[in-house]
Amino acid sequence: MKPATVLNIVVVAVLLMAPYWLNPYWVDVLNSIGLYAVLALSLNIILGYAGLFHMGHAAFFAMGTYTTAILNTQFGIPVLWLLPLSGLAAGAFAMIVARPIIHLRGDYLLIVTIGIVEIVRIALVNNVFGITGGANGIFGISRPHLFGHVIRTPHEFYYLIFAFAAATVLLFVRLENSRFGRALNYIREDDTAAEGSGIDTAHYKLVAFVLGAFWAGMAGNIFAAKMTIVSPESFTFWESVVMFTIVILGGSGNIRGVLLGAFLIIGLPEVFREFAGARMLFFGAAMVVMMIFRPKGILPPRARTYCLDFLPETPKGIGR
Amino acid sequence: MRKKWLFSLLIGLLLFPMMLCQAQAQVKIGLMAPLTGSWASEGQAMKQVVDLLAEEVNKAGGVLGQPVEIYVEDDGGDPRQASLAAQRLSTRGIAAVIGTYGSSITEASQNIYDEAKIVQVATGSTAIRLSEKGLKYFFRTSPRDDEQGLVAANTLKSMGFQKVAILHDNTTYAKGLADEAQTLLQADNVDVVFFDALTPGERDYSTILSKLRSAGPDVVLFTGYYPEAGLLMRQKKAMGWDVPFLGGDATNNPDLVSIAGKDAAVGFMFLSPPVPQDLDSPEATSFMAAYRAKYQSDPASVWAVLAGDAFKVIVAAVQDLGSTDSDKIAEYLRTGLKDFQGLTGPIAFDGKGDRVGELYRVYRVDGEGNFVMQP
Amino acid sequence: MQLFLEQLTNGLAVGGIYALIALGYTMVYGVLKLINFAHGDLFTIGAYLGLTLLLSLGLTDHLGPLAGIAVLAAMVMGLVAVIGALLERVAYRPLRTSPRLSAVVSALGASIFFQNAVMLLYGARFRVFPHDLLPTTAITLFGVNIPVMRIILFATSLLLMAGLYAFVQKTRTGMAIRAAAIDQGAAKLMGIDVNRVIMYVFLIGPALGGVAGLMVGLYYGQINFTMGWVYGLKAFTAAILGGIGNIPGAMLGGLLLGVIEAMGATYISMAWKDAISFLVLILILIFRPTGILGERVADKV
Repeated sequence: MKPATVLNIVVVAVLLMAPYWLNPYWVDVLNSIGLYAVLALSLNIILGYAGLFHMGHAAFFAMGTYTTAILNTQFGIPVLWLLPLSGLAAGAFAMIVARPIIHLRGDYLLIVTIGIVEIVRIALVNNVFGITGGANGIFGISRPHLFGHVIRTPHEFYYLIFAFAAATVLLFVRLENSRFGRALNYIREDDTAAEGSGIDTAHYKLVAFVLGAFWAGMAGNIFAAKMTIVSPESFTFWESVVMFTIVILGGSGNIRGVLLGAFLIIGLPEVFREFAGARMLFFGAAMVVMMIFRPKGILPPRARTYCLDFLPETPKGIGR
Repeated sequence: MRKKWLFSLLIGLLLFPMMLCQAQAQVKIGLMAPLTGSWASEGQAMKQVVDLLAEEVNKAGGVLGQPVEIYVEDDGGDPRQASLAAQRLSTRGIAAVIGTYGSSITEASQNIYDEAKIVQVATGSTAIRLSEKGLKYFFRTSPRDDEQGLVAANTLKSMGFQKVAILHDNTTYAKGLADEAQTLLQADNVDVVFFDALTPGERDYSTILSKLRSAGPDVVLFTGYYPEAGLLMRQKKAMGWDVPFLGGDATNNPDLVSIAGKDAAVGFMFLSPPVPQDLDSPEATSFMAAYRAKYQSDPASVWAVLAGDAFKVIVAAVQDLGSTDSDKIAEYLRTGLKDFQGLTGPIAFDGKGDRVGELYRVYRVDGEGNFVMQP
Repeated sequence: MQLFLEQLTNGLAVGGIYALIALGYTMVYGVLKLINFAHGDLFTIGAYLGLTLLLSLGLTDHLGPLAGIAVLAAMVMGLVAVIGALLERVAYRPLRTSPRLSAVVSALGASIFFQNAVMLLYGARFRVFPHDLLPTTAITLFGVNIPVMRIILFATSLLLMAGLYAFVQKTRTGMAIRAAAIDQGAAKLMGIDVNRVIMYVFLIGPALGGVAGLMVGLYYGQINFTMGWVYGLKAFTAAILGGIGNIPGAMLGGLLLGVIEAMGATYISMAWKDAISFLVLILILIFRPTGILGERVADKV
């Protein structure tokens, strides 16, 4: 077996067993990490693969969360049934807002996406259409049922969240190597050349946005189920910054890197709890230090390599 | 089951040596507060008050002959972090937890404590619905929005104001209070000529004051917090407008006067539960003396003092019961505690866990910048 | 009409501060193509340093209010400039050849660090400047009551901006900055020490941000450790609105943003104020993708 496969098996085995050893607090920390890993992976499509400077992912996360919260509390639809619908709502929202701004370059796109997340938050706070509950948010979201079993404790949520995260990883690995994934990478590396090679860049960028938003919306569904309350405080610009940081610091464009980033960015503030009021100070310093020592992220994506079958053996030094 | 726990403890100690804590017998009380983030000033003041009281209790021999240990967790003023802080505290074997400040933050932790069967005494969370869920272990030392809304409406009516402008800041608390007051005022045919929110955390509110002035109110009811109230008073004076202002209890903070300046703050009125500075009960005076000796200032806000009250009722319950059993504490707080002398006056809880009694007083800022309780 | 004029002056006064901070963003961006998210926190540091120096040195007692504040401002500018240059050395220089967003994350980390450092050093409570320093008289112009300090504040920001503009346009160092902004490689070949230029930029930008912090502290009287985050985001918006990298653009963007906020709050809704300004920003960018004064960048082929 290749070392990477061994590592994968070990990581999956440890994650499967982890709740057995840990108390509910640490399991809940892992739940948070898992949720943010999914969010960051969905952002990775836009930011990592397509290279679009997007710092407003919390807006799509919010759309999914509030869709679940509203439909569950108003119409009593079971939470997990709303999983695809929350994704669709976020995806549709992304389609509407991303279309006019998709042509913006770099930092202009960055501020516009920040603007979108702020507009969404202000709309939620102001109880837009009278359905978001204003600053209070929405409470009393029911617990999810799965095969007649109510998911309630951190340990139970752990398996729900990590099953979802695992499905996400498997799908996104396929996506990365698909025609679509390669097209996005081309756009990231050279927009003009991609356009010249017959890739409809605007279309592909829009699809990246919609897909990333769809997935963030589904993550929002699980977040709503877990918290049972939602309020605008959870969707500040700061949340977008957290997701953005996970992707860039972990290694933008690399699934392993993004997963590691989620562990560090969500896990470190918890480890630093011992420092009480000073914990965010250490966290900020840690961010700078990690970036300085790993400027391309902790696990940057490897260059694609292809084995050509007519060669007898891949020479040493290539492909690794 | 036991074996599994021991095993998990072992692994936990191996993985996180920093988590090492001594196994000495003690009464453990949790404190969940925003130590970082935009409400850090409140959270740190809560911690100061509780630390001070715990020290006093320990000096006097502790509770049930054991020292009191405070476990502080930061909730960062964010629901997700609050749920983590609550999970962490509920694994610490605490007898009860104090906090937290914001209503939606408290709400994110309510279920966790309820499922872990831990008594929670919230301190700054005034949203009505928190105690309407029938949670057995939930209490609060702060009053509710509807109570304050009623007092605000009555105060404005009794002062004879006809055209009221209501300004809030779109936080859960301020909006809730503003809504309550508006409904009650309109029911009594008082004209609400203005109802809108400012954005907290800014410095320049001249735009808002100009717009307010153009609505021509007799009085402005501001339901937000003291930093904004101080700036509003200061900038109101700078633009030469002298409309009376009535604030909610979140404006009860000595910093209001230092921000506004004495000459701009004079005449500002606000509603608040009494602060220990204004009470002559022995509890209040000795607390104030100890606080000033230790921190060389007055407490940052009434909410921090309410955290002290939460600490006091928990300690009283454990002391009287001779036990740290949650069910007994909850039962005791609901039925056994009557006229307990807290830092903000007598404390008792009703069946929902809300604090009973008329708490609110009207205060006015005098020429020296002091808060004077109105008769 | 009177309300309109009143709100116009309100908006311009706030916009002047935004513009002053936006200059720091725009200068750094112009040369390094980096969004310095820690810039807002340098603004906070300026306010806190100003307060400390004011209280500990008693400058205004010895020198009188005007000279005292001028000396104070100079000291704050100097100190914040040094912090800015240090920030560049520690957090940005190692990342100069890395992907652009890596430096952005480093900047965000530095921002968190500064914000919490200020909180730990000075406490989380609001700090207050002394009140009796500035005159509180007001004058009436076209039926609008304007405090004199507002005019002085606005004039000071305009003066600082004009000074910066003259510096960049007329001096040799300014020319070097402009050259490095256009093409660092070519600037190097022309014998310009690009590292030195970057250091200048990180001295000037933070100095302006710091003095803006001091002005806000002196005028509004109340400061706290999160103020940089609010002002920083607004100023960044202003810089983008005007066209980032463009110095007159930052000034125009700042003033415009202040006026948009004031008008949005007055005639549409106060609670939606920030949403309205972002909406206007997005609309402007849809029609002018590089901001109002930003130059159109041709696609490379």
